[in-house]
Amino acid sequence: MKLDNAIKGVLDAEAALAKRLLAVGERHAADHDVYHLGHTLARQAADHVTRLTPFAERYHMAPPAPPHAGDSHGILETLRLKRSQLMGRAESAGMLLLRELRETYLLAQATEIAWTILQQAALAVRDGELLDVISTCHEQTETCAKWLRTRIKETAPQALAAG
Amino acid sequence: MPDRIADIWGRRTPYGAEARWPVRVDQYLEDGVAEADVEWVRSACVLCSNGCGMDIAVHDGRIAGVRGRATDRVNHGRLGPKGLYGWQANNSPDRLTEPLIRETGGRLRPASWDEAMSLVAERSREVLAERGPLGMGFYNTGQLFLEDYYTLSLLVRAGIGTPHLDANTRLCTATADFALKETFGSDGDPGSVTDIDCCDTIFTIGHNIAETQTVLWSRILDRLHGPDRPRLVVVDPRRTAVAREADVHLPIRGGTNLALLNGIQHELIENGWVDRAFVDRNTVGFDRLTQTVAEYPPERAADICGVPADDIRAAARVIGGARRLVSTCLQGVYQSHQATASACQVNNINLLRAMIGRPGRAVFQMNGQPTAQNTRETGANGDLAGMRNWQNPEHVAELARIWNVDPLRVPAWAPPTHVMRMMRYAEEGSIRFLWIIGTNPAVSLPELARIRSILRQKRLFVVVSDAFRTETTEFADVVLPAAMWGEKTGTYTNHDRTVHLSERAVDPPGAARPDMEIFLDYARRLELTDKDGAPLIKWRTPEECFEAFKQMTRGRPCDYSGLSYDRLRGDNSGIQWPCTDQTPAGTERLYADHEFNTATDYCEDYGHDLLTGAAHERKDHSAMAPAGRAILKAAHYLPAHEPPTDDYPFWYTTGRTVYHWHTRTKTGRVRRLDAAAPEMWVEMSPADAERLDLAEGDLVRVESPRGRLKARVRIGGGRDGVVFAPFHYGYWDMPNGDGDGGSGNGDGNGGRDRARAANELTITDWDPVSKQPLVKTAAVSVTKVTEGGAQAR
Repeated sequence: MKLDNAIKGVLDAEAALAKRLLAVGERHAADHDVYHLGHTLARQAADHVTRLTPFAERYHMAPPAPPHAGDSHGILETLRLKRSQLMGRAESAGMLLLRELRETYLLAQATEIAWTILQQAALAVRDGELLDVISTCHEQTETCAKWLRTRIKETAPQALAAG
Repeated sequence: MPDRIADIWGRRTPYGAEARWPVRVDQYLEDGVAEADVEWVRSACVLCSNGCGMDIAVHDGRIAGVRGRATDRVNHGRLGPKGLYGWQANNSPDRLTEPLIRETGGRLRPASWDEAMSLVAERSREVLAERGPLGMGFYNTGQLFLEDYYTLSLLVRAGIGTPHLDANTRLCTATADFALKETFGSDGDPGSVTDIDCCDTIFTIGHNIAETQTVLWSRILDRLHGPDRPRLVVVDPRRTAVAREADVHLPIRGGTNLALLNGIQHELIENGWVDRAFVDRNTVGFDRLTQTVAEYPPERAADICGVPADDIRAAARVIGGARRLVSTCLQGVYQSHQATASACQVNNINLLRAMIGRPGRAVFQMNGQPTAQNTRETGANGDLAGMRNWQNPEHVAELARIWNVDPLRVPAWAPPTHVMRMMRYAEEGSIRFLWIIGTNPAVSLPELARIRSILRQKRLFVVVSDAFRTETTEFADVVLPAAMWGEKTGTYTNHDRTVHLSERAVDPPGAARPDMEIFLDYARRLELTDKDGAPLIKWRTPEECFEAFKQMTRGRPCDYSGLSYDRLRGDNSGIQWPCTDQTPAGTERLYADHEFNTATDYCEDYGHDLLTGAAHERKDHSAMAPAGRAILKAAHYLPAHEPPTDDYPFWYTTGRTVYHWHTRTKTGRVRRLDAAAPEMWVEMSPADAERLDLAEGDLVRVESPRGRLKARVRIGGGRDGVVFAPFHYGYWDMPNGDGDGGSGNGDGNGGRDRARAANELTITDWDPVSKQPLVKTAAVSVTKVTEGGAQAR
């Protein structure tokens, strides 16, 4: 049984997604919805890691490092926040935002497919408890990707066609 | 007649269930004007969303008074204090009477219409040439008439071709609009004001009816003080006049509406106070809702909301026992955390109990402004004209056919841009032309220092149409003088879909013009055409515009096709849409057959995820297949984004006083109304005041991470830890001018010592679905400056 592999796949993807959402939120603090939802969804991704972690042991995986919850303002975040406020007046802000949302969307998609893989394996080993966790987290990850898609569809015209 | 400043709701005329609300005609004429000497002109009030039928008294070519119309279905003759006295602003000597152009030196100088409009058109052509339609933004109001809005909507959407058109209804009723679309498939309040007459229970959350819609509150008070008194459940952190009448009052912690509403639904489901047959037949989403609210037993909701669990149970018991339930909500939900998610739960409560589409059974997603409904119907805000779905290519094609333009001309690649995003585009410099129409963002948008710094940019060309100089005109490159209500003809629609005609009673002052005429002039100068090269806008008069509009609505939820100016001049004052040839008297209640507007091909919106605002697409909606059933949307509570901290220990919330409207551009010019509430204040609880050693009238400094203001303290009966600030007060009428308006010292906080606008402190944040700014969710500190007597004016 190699479920540890699939669990690690999800945990790594969620951790990377949480980190990226937080960074995008801080870098684009002048886009206030990106700031707030970036933080909310980063916390959600970190929460997914927490919920999946107990299963790591069940399937003999070394416990992962605790996730970055996205609540504390470290020096890096503060620097990013300051920079984003200064950047807020530059027209290039839209292009930069579009690029970063796109990258984040791809990470969210990678996370989504990692959950799908784990779900298939969990079905095969008939682990109902694991399936319960997967069902909620997977759907939330899909919604996260969908939000990014919505935001990208709104951002692209202004960034690319105005001016 | 009694002094209606002191006696806000007037004499009681109690009545019992299913009786007719007695007529009481309220009238006010200027001193020295006799009733025999005036001519009465048909109109309706524009000082709140109730839209009371009224007649304007004309004497010597001036407005000299008003009276409520006894035969009107909305108000049965009554008027509130603002309606009775507010018209005096029309006669104010400082009306704008000629266009103004900003000189190189920074002063505004008088100009002719031709000079001003040439400049506006020239600058528009430059921006269009340099940056395309996405460089152009338009921000209007909930105060114009349907005909103004529809002209603007066509001009901007199909003429300019930009999605950047929004209205200040974004600040007032965007969440109502979105909550209705999420649940019922389209906008349009289902109920009727007559549901008050026969309900046995009223549930109201975040809605200070007594001050926002005084005549609606008179109707409710007359029921509360009559036989068969309805039971009343009130959710409000403040002890308002509404709360004082309540059977159950829940003064919950700010930002926790969703947890409370989930808690109430938990009780409804747990105790079997659910009409399962209705829910199974007429809704989708019950299982998901049950699963979600299962996590909010009263104890948990009580813990989050800061009210006793037993009070939540008591509220649920009243709602659960209702046979005829009217629910309402307003800004306490719409401008607070998780706005759309919470508003949808109010819809759910009525749906769980089958309280919809029948007499006395209604949910009101209330409007604030008198003509807000029309911005939504015409598409002069975040909607597409005729309640069409921007994601449905058939709907866009139909609109393009009606407008005789190429479908690609209509910007439908994303939802229409909301005002906070437009401000962001102006901030980053991708919008370079901004036309602000009949609204005052330099006082009414959140985080004013930021808004001022955006409007002040040299690279942004700002046009402002208004009836008065305001804090916002101080940032304008061109100011256009607009006619007000009473000075132009047009229609508007209130919160129960009642349409009124308002006739031109007097001429506008000086060279002021109706907004529609200004838009037509602009369209002519830009030579906007349809796809055959004919003028894009085919009408010249309001009536011609109305005729075009009603054809555009044919077959859509807001069907006006059976209406006409003549019909609106008839004996039955006020007609509710949908009004067609088959239903010429209008339609009292939507969804009487429990068939909702959720068919995928018909609906106005495919819906959103309530937490993130992620837009569902056609395939998602088809898969859910609501097909005429209402959608029970569920969501989990999340903590607000800016909770109180040690540095900013109070929850800051803004709101209205009954005597003022918006930023007081009108009511501040009416002596009685101004005298009733002449200066800014903040309200705190007795315990908080005692802790900070504050007495009534002491001057305090209130600060948030974004700004500060000074105001006198009123001690009220609200929840501890809450600071309430009225949003009306800006700087135009302060001694020495404009606070930090455009001609201030330019540091973004110039009038620091005199800063008093509530929005100096508010946070830039908006609901993810409705994009309504959340001006009831900031954290602030309070410091005593001086004792009351020391600096009294």
